[in-house]
Amino acid sequence: MSGNKLEVLNGIFYPRSVAVVGVTGSSDRVGYNLLQSLIYSGFQGKIYPIHPRLESLQGLPVYRSLEEVPGPVDVAVIGVNQFATVEVVEQCGKKGVKGVICVAGGFREMGPAGKALEERLIAVARQYNMEVVGPNTLGLINTRANLNATFYPLRLPRGKVSFVSQSGGVGLTILQKAVDEGLGINKWVGVGNRSTLELSDYLEYLARDDSTAVIGVFVEGTDDARRLVQVAGEVARRKPVVFYKVGRSDAVNFAALTHTGSMAGSYQMYKQILQQFGLLVVESALEMVAACKALAMAPIPRGNGVGVVTHTAGPSIVLLDEAGLRGGVFPPFAESTMERIKGVLGQNPPVVLKNPLDAAGQGMQAATFGRLVEAVLDDPRIDLLVAAYCLHLNWRCPTSELLAAQKQSSKPVVALYISTQEQVREEREILHSRDIPVYITPEEAAWGVSALLHYALQRGGISR
Amino acid sequence: MNVAEFLAEARAAGRRYLCEDEVKEILGKVGIPVTPCLLAHNEEEAVERAGELGYPVVLKVRSPLIAHKSDTGGVALNLVDSQQVRLAYREIMARARATDPAAAVTVQPMAPLGREMIVGVTTDRQFGPVLMCGLGGVFTEILGDVSFRLVPVNPGVARNMIRSLRGYRLLAGYRGAPPADEEALVNILVKVSDLVASYPQIQEMDLNPVVVYDRGALVLDARLVLAG
Repeated sequence: MSGNKLEVLNGIFYPRSVAVVGVTGSSDRVGYNLLQSLIYSGFQGKIYPIHPRLESLQGLPVYRSLEEVPGPVDVAVIGVNQFATVEVVEQCGKKGVKGVICVAGGFREMGPAGKALEERLIAVARQYNMEVVGPNTLGLINTRANLNATFYPLRLPRGKVSFVSQSGGVGLTILQKAVDEGLGINKWVGVGNRSTLELSDYLEYLARDDSTAVIGVFVEGTDDARRLVQVAGEVARRKPVVFYKVGRSDAVNFAALTHTGSMAGSYQMYKQILQQFGLLVVESALEMVAACKALAMAPIPRGNGVGVVTHTAGPSIVLLDEAGLRGGVFPPFAESTMERIKGVLGQNPPVVLKNPLDAAGQGMQAATFGRLVEAVLDDPRIDLLVAAYCLHLNWRCPTSELLAAQKQSSKPVVALYISTQEQVREEREILHSRDIPVYITPEEAAWGVSALLHYALQRGGISR
Repeated sequence: MNVAEFLAEARAAGRRYLCEDEVKEILGKVGIPVTPCLLAHNEEEAVERAGELGYPVVLKVRSPLIAHKSDTGGVALNLVDSQQVRLAYREIMARARATDPAAAVTVQPMAPLGREMIVGVTTDRQFGPVLMCGLGGVFTEILGDVSFRLVPVNPGVARNMIRSLRGYRLLAGYRGAPPADEEALVNILVKVSDLVASYPQIQEMDLNPVVVYDRGALVLDARLVLAG
């Protein structure tokens, strides 16, 4: 990617001033919500609503046209229809705007007439050296700049994970689920039709963005898939990249074409080529969030040896199943670990001493659970520990024990607290602040673990 | 003629589909092991070629208009003497002439049995040239047990693509069967990858079957399509 593109993208993610074109007084309309999103997210730069007649909107003075805006405009968010969009982009060019976010659909996803219109849009953008986010997009978010340039007013917790999505709806699914999981967001972009900015351009930008530690990508299909996988593979050497690709059924091709103007292509081919480049491929939005959460919170383990401590067998079997299929191994404990476990549970406890370690009734006591966690975490063959505990009205969670054990170790700890999100909120906040991701279902915990193991092995970790 | 000249000549003649003997000549030039594939324009030539190769032999129709040779009765296997060659020649030509009056045959030695694989190249709209490898026959057609990698592939990637097949154990050895020569297949995959990486005018290739033996491997049939 050219230095100019990178610079313009940086200007789009960190604008000093944003104009909103197509804004009205009706909250039913996209334009109104584009403006509200900027205000609601607490954007600190200048906001210029543009409307030919109105005096003020949502407490801000309105300008008759872009021309009348007194200062420079870094980014214009454009909420008018596809035909007017091209005109407005031209005006933006004349004003010296560098980045435009075009929300309207009706371009290449609509056949030859739409394609011709999009070609005009691209020609205008080229003429003025502008970059286009979209068209046919929800917009873009950067929590680091309190910037929400979408028509979905949201307040998002800040964090280290950024998402690039070829769909607004799936992008929102991932975003909302991430927030529900206590995962902070850094940047988010709906790429839309990718007129001048490809998925790979955003990836290159995020690779250089120091505040982004993990990147999640949702892809339907793209014309420059070769460059995408090459760039993503390169980025993944520095920071984890997680791909969610749709298109397993043939019916998807047409749906994807009319959605963002690209065929979905062969899923099997896509998946295997992504894997060829060392990328993690997930199968759902839920797995995407679970994977990004672990990668954003926990350190990458040194190898793929997983140890499990639990008081209930079922969830650990789910873990074996899910993580086992994705590269995890569950090594038997070392002799010294077994001795320590016997020291905690007694010489002949009524449980089978193995990995996963199910301490049954004794494990329900947080103190005992914590001592077992310490023993397993110390085992030389264990690179990552999963602590599985079912929340209970009368029994305390082993949160302080997990924190103590993790403090003495450099190995990642993943907590599976079987619970509702609401019940686990307080424990979760404490654990998340100390790099221990908390999951409430065994499948999601396994997906998080698998993501860590994937990048452990990609980085030359020990395959046990 | 080197590979570039070979491809350029076909292109100049307005041909996109190369015949088996031509593809095998190209494969041979880049060091991919193929069964000999001798052209014969009449019955006497067919018998002579068979004599040169030694029996048993295979006769296949040779026409740029007939891509799927066995579907149209254009292949005769395991011919043990000149009498059978003559008979097979007449039968193949009787069927082929309706489609292509200029059809000929190729004569090839009957290769021993081994583990059948398929190696292919497709030019994907989104990825460009992609290498494909799978277990032959029903495994490919019905089970879809194939692996794909973006070209170019190195030996490590080629090995990984073989080992990621669900049916890999059929190659690795099972129930007392010795392992097949995986490295010979790796070698073919890497050379095919290098070939299409060097000649982007190759749009599709199909090496099917590639028979892998306990030692070595052989391409028994091949087709190639040039970009339009």
